[in-house]
Amino acid sequence: MTKLFTVAEMMGRDLARRRVALALLAFVPLLFYMARHDGNPEKAIRFAGLGLAWAVSTAGLFLSNTTKAVERRLRQTGYRPAHLYLGTLTALLTLGAVLATVYWVLIYLDQDSLARPGAVAIEFGLTIVVAAPLGLLISAVAPHDLEGTLVLISITGLQFLVEPDQKLGKALPFWSTQQVGTFGLDGGDPEYLRKGLLHGALYCTGLILVTAVLASVRLRQRKHMRIRAAVR
Amino acid sequence: MDLSDSASQVTATRHGPTEGDSSTPIRLHAADIHKRYGKNHVLKGVDLTVRAGEVVAIIGANGCGKSTLMKICAGLVSPSSGVVEVDESMAYCPQQAGLMGFLTADEHFALFGAGHGMDRSEAQATGRQLAKSLAWDGGMTTQARHLSGGTQQKLNLILAALTDPDILLLDEPYQGFDRGSYIDFWDWVLQRRDAGKSTLVITHMLNSLDRVDAVLDLGTKAAADS
Repeated sequence: MTKLFTVAEMMGRDLARRRVALALLAFVPLLFYMARHDGNPEKAIRFAGLGLAWAVSTAGLFLSNTTKAVERRLRQTGYRPAHLYLGTLTALLTLGAVLATVYWVLIYLDQDSLARPGAVAIEFGLTIVVAAPLGLLISAVAPHDLEGTLVLISITGLQFLVEPDQKLGKALPFWSTQQVGTFGLDGGDPEYLRKGLLHGALYCTGLILVTAVLASVRLRQRKHMRIRAAVR
Repeated sequence: MDLSDSASQVTATRHGPTEGDSSTPIRLHAADIHKRYGKNHVLKGVDLTVRAGEVVAIIGANGCGKSTLMKICAGLVSPSSGVVEVDESMAYCPQQAGLMGFLTADEHFALFGAGHGMDRSEAQATGRQLAKSLAWDGGMTTQARHLSGGTQQKLNLILAALTDPDILLLDEPYQGFDRGSYIDFWDWVLQRRDAGKSTLVITHMLNSLDRVDAVLDLGTKAAADS
């Protein structure tokens, strides 16, 4: 566990020192929230959730791309791919939890008629749990920041445009949070909550598994290597 | 030492402390290494053996496959064919500093040391001691991105040497070093050799060749379709 926590700590330090980028990312949910603040509070909260998703996924994308420069060296020092991946994920989830808490408090104080504030907390929690591994998966698939950002923009754009009851809706990563939002903000049936949690859990598990497989392949020991104990 | 390569030649050798002693342990043995990038056959049957206490240099023109051979020996790139046997106590220092720009030197020592199972204070003490041997004293709490190019390269080198590996693979390790640091570097390499440690180094600096035990010349840039 020392290795995992050391990676998490160092990734957290790296993230925390990117102050300008972090500040810009932290404002994205606020901008999305303010865009619909006057006319439609339910939509404003959902947009804040998507802004949160964008912020955490983008942080994951850039952090993971930074790590690519050292991950092979770290692998050689004795880290397993799981240490590197889970350590980075832990740092991202911590950042996401801080952001989600700040925005939940802001919305709780700002909205007078919030019927189910707990559901909003679940929605935001689910958002970061899906957004963090999503950013890491995009980083694993897209070779550079630009390509990864374009993929992320496409996913987020689709998430705004596609209605939850459309066929494509369920395939998108944040369908789960839309369902939880329907339960929490529109006074929906608890079935929405159950479906949302199930979708989020499955999606998150899938993202982690696929990224773990890709990392294991990328950081595998090459077949031509015969490592042997040192002879004195 | 034993160097042979169908496409290259040993251009200089100097007897190291272990020369001719077949009982000296082999730290790295690369056999019949081929590497093709499409039609470009970069490495053609390269053989390379590095024994304990040897310093071996790889030289050659740009694009002749020096870094590729080094990465194959480090296990970072797969050859088209061939095998590499290497001690588990091996470390690789890449040409481009593989650092995290927002972390300090001390944090790099802690991160890399933890991979080796070192505790934080031990890793940082070792890293600082190695830094002193390369005439780098101070600035351990400065973020890597604010260090000069030469100092970043020293950090890069120290991270590879943190556990004093039996064999060190260095890809042009002294880019950006000033003359004093360059001399300190070679003194350090020779101290390692005296202690029975091996070093495989890619270099363009011909004046460093008289300090190595053997030179593998990979020749000119590999021609397409060759």
